[in-house]
Amino acid sequence: MFKAALHSGSGKPRRRATVSSPHKPAGRKLLEWRGRIDQHFGYGSSEASRSLYLEDGGQYAALLQAELEQPVSLGTTIIAASYAGGVVLGADSRTTTGNYIANRVTDKITPLAENVYICRSGSAADTQAISAYVQWFLQQHAVDLDRHVSVKTAAKLAQTMVYQNKNMLQAGLIIAGWDKQGGGSVHTVPLGGTLLQVPYSIGGSGSAYITGLCDKLWRPHMTQQECHEFVVKAVTHAMARDGSSGGCIRTVTISKDGVKRDFLPHTRVPIAYGEMQQPMSVGA
Amino acid sequence: MAAPPLQLHTPASIGPASGPGDIKSRPAWSPYDDNGGTCVAVAGSDYCIVAASTRLSTGFSILTRDCSKLFQISEQVYIASAGFQADIRALQKMLQTRNVMYQHIHRKPMSASALAQLLGNNLYYKRFFPYFTWNLCVGLDPEGKGSVYTYDPVGSFERVGYSCQGSGKDLIQPVLDNQLKAASPLVLPSENWMTALPLEQAQDLVRDAFVSAGERDIYTGDCVEILTITTGGVHRETLDLKKD
Amino acid sequence: MTAGFQFDLCNRNRLLESKGVQGASVTKTGTTIAGLVFKDGVVLGADTRSTSGSTVADKNCEKIHFIAPNIYCCGAGTAADTENVTGMISSSLDLHRYATGRESRVVTAMTMLKSHLFRYQGYVSAALVLGGVDFRGPHLFTVYPHGSTDALPFCTMGSGSLNAMAVFEAGYKDDLTREEAVELVANAIKAGIYNDLGSGSNVDICVITKGKVDYLRNHEYLQNKTYQRRHPVTYGKGTTKVTKEKIIPLSELTIQDGDATAMDTS
Repeated sequence: MFKAALHSGSGKPRRRATVSSPHKPAGRKLLEWRGRIDQHFGYGSSEASRSLYLEDGGQYAALLQAELEQPVSLGTTIIAASYAGGVVLGADSRTTTGNYIANRVTDKITPLAENVYICRSGSAADTQAISAYVQWFLQQHAVDLDRHVSVKTAAKLAQTMVYQNKNMLQAGLIIAGWDKQGGGSVHTVPLGGTLLQVPYSIGGSGSAYITGLCDKLWRPHMTQQECHEFVVKAVTHAMARDGSSGGCIRTVTISKDGVKRDFLPHTRVPIAYGEMQQPMSVGA
Repeated sequence: MAAPPLQLHTPASIGPASGPGDIKSRPAWSPYDDNGGTCVAVAGSDYCIVAASTRLSTGFSILTRDCSKLFQISEQVYIASAGFQADIRALQKMLQTRNVMYQHIHRKPMSASALAQLLGNNLYYKRFFPYFTWNLCVGLDPEGKGSVYTYDPVGSFERVGYSCQGSGKDLIQPVLDNQLKAASPLVLPSENWMTALPLEQAQDLVRDAFVSAGERDIYTGDCVEILTITTGGVHRETLDLKKD
Repeated sequence: MTAGFQFDLCNRNRLLESKGVQGASVTKTGTTIAGLVFKDGVVLGADTRSTSGSTVADKNCEKIHFIAPNIYCCGAGTAADTENVTGMISSSLDLHRYATGRESRVVTAMTMLKSHLFRYQGYVSAALVLGGVDFRGPHLFTVYPHGSTDALPFCTMGSGSLNAMAVFEAGYKDDLTREEAVELVANAIKAGIYNDLGSGSNVDICVITKGKVDYLRNHEYLQNKTYQRRHPVTYGKGTTKVTKEKIIPLSELTIQDGDATAMDTS
């Protein structure tokens, strides 16, 4: 009841560990991180104590309670795409607890460093915690390096956290940014903690609706404007079909020239094919 | 037991809940609901009071603030029911049909005792798929004395001097026990269980019982409908309760 | 003794539960709480009912908790969790202020709350609306039991959150005046009080502006009894039988100071 749904609407409880993953041989720093992570997550929780919170109310009271007590999740559409000279990240702005929209103007595109951003999907609590840790590690790392961190480093850090705590976390991440070595690059970290560098990536519940569209529309060496249009179009179509995605569209464009944020309010989100014409205003 | 196979899934591959593993995460569907509400009845030597709150709710929300839980069968015979509204309505409809049939056959209105037995039989008839209702059958007996019958959902019933049913029962019943000073049914030989309280004081007690229950029971509120049945007729009054 | 919770009885409870023993029930504040940012600060609001199952445990409880002189926090969920979590963070910030000599920041409180709640993975069921004014201006956050946070101009929590949010979505505008903001929050809370059975009784309001806090306890007192008994029950003298009587005149009493013992300060 407490750990459910990655996507809104599904009351699926979090799967507890059934197969323990063997420790990867790790360097000193990795071990240090692990120690910190263990400190953070490692406590003796008990399934038994959850029963203490359940009360014998009416059936619907229980349903409502269950609904509101569900973890806040980003039933989401997220996307990041590379173009000649940089990347564009995009996301809808809906956060849900069950069927209730807890936040309709969420910012799911979080900075990890000056030149690297992350798109978050899954449990809001888990992805916020991961982002905070990666931000912290990268800040230290940037001081050591005395220059901008690389996108790959950021992605690897996020991946390590997801992989080593896969039993505890519900997080689907897309890390994208620009650095001198690799130019604009997109890295995806799905649920189990795989790390893949890809030309573009889509994620969250809404992505299922736009796989074909994106395969059709994405091309290498797009201009910044073309890429931005591609991202907005993809998110629009996902929002039109996926009930767990919605609100406005946020984008972040990263290139050698820096970072640019854009925001499309829900009144200006383009209407997807087959949708009714939006009324200009309600009432008078 | 072998460990389940490892699965690879992306965020998009998790669909809505299904399969036996998910049964715990949501309560199974139930044919019943509890719509709350409280009923009280008091029998006096020459009167009978029956009262019920008018809030209808489900879970944490109010369906309506004005729903009568009292149902008239004959001129001086009423049923008061709390519990599941759909079953209450089904029960009332069935009793009304039987009431009409009774009058065709016997050419007289049904007495309180006849209705009491009829209700008991029909509740027990559904012993293994019960009406989810808690009832009181109220009226005057042939001598003009108040009579109250109290039921459980599967048709056990007895004639009492006063009773309370529904969500506010735990709060009100002990107060009635204290104030109406009925002897324990365990005392032998059995004593008269009818209250000696004059009508006006009994009404005062019933009003206070509802106002006080409304303070602490979240399913009792909005309004209470109070009927006073005497040989002279039936008097109806309503009293506002808290709306929160 | 280490800090944190004791989990010793978890295994025993799990065993008992598997044998069909019911766990203890806790007092939930089936609640409506809300917060709103206005022109010069933040308004927090809460109802005052706390429930245990379907009975009202407290008709006039306080759900707006003190965090720091410039920060307050509304709590929904398990009463014990909201009270202890806010109390804990409040005292940590107190020490932090002694160490730094600076006013507490709202984000500090928010970060401490979210990391505590995240550590306990939702088992500490506190759903909070955190508001305050610091040197960077007014701030408003919601904190969920699992440790996620949102920063919003208006927010609601608890079982009546849907009712209250409906009022906010209909009536919110940027840069409301103090009076307008207090009225809107009070209306949002009242929507919860009247339409959500888990919420009830009165409206508490807390207005935080730069350098000033107005805690308006029972800002709206809604619930008067609708009927007074005309024949109240009175218990006359002698209802309880007196079996023995002994009277000691006051003049015979002498007050004696006990032997002073030094306080154990070891």
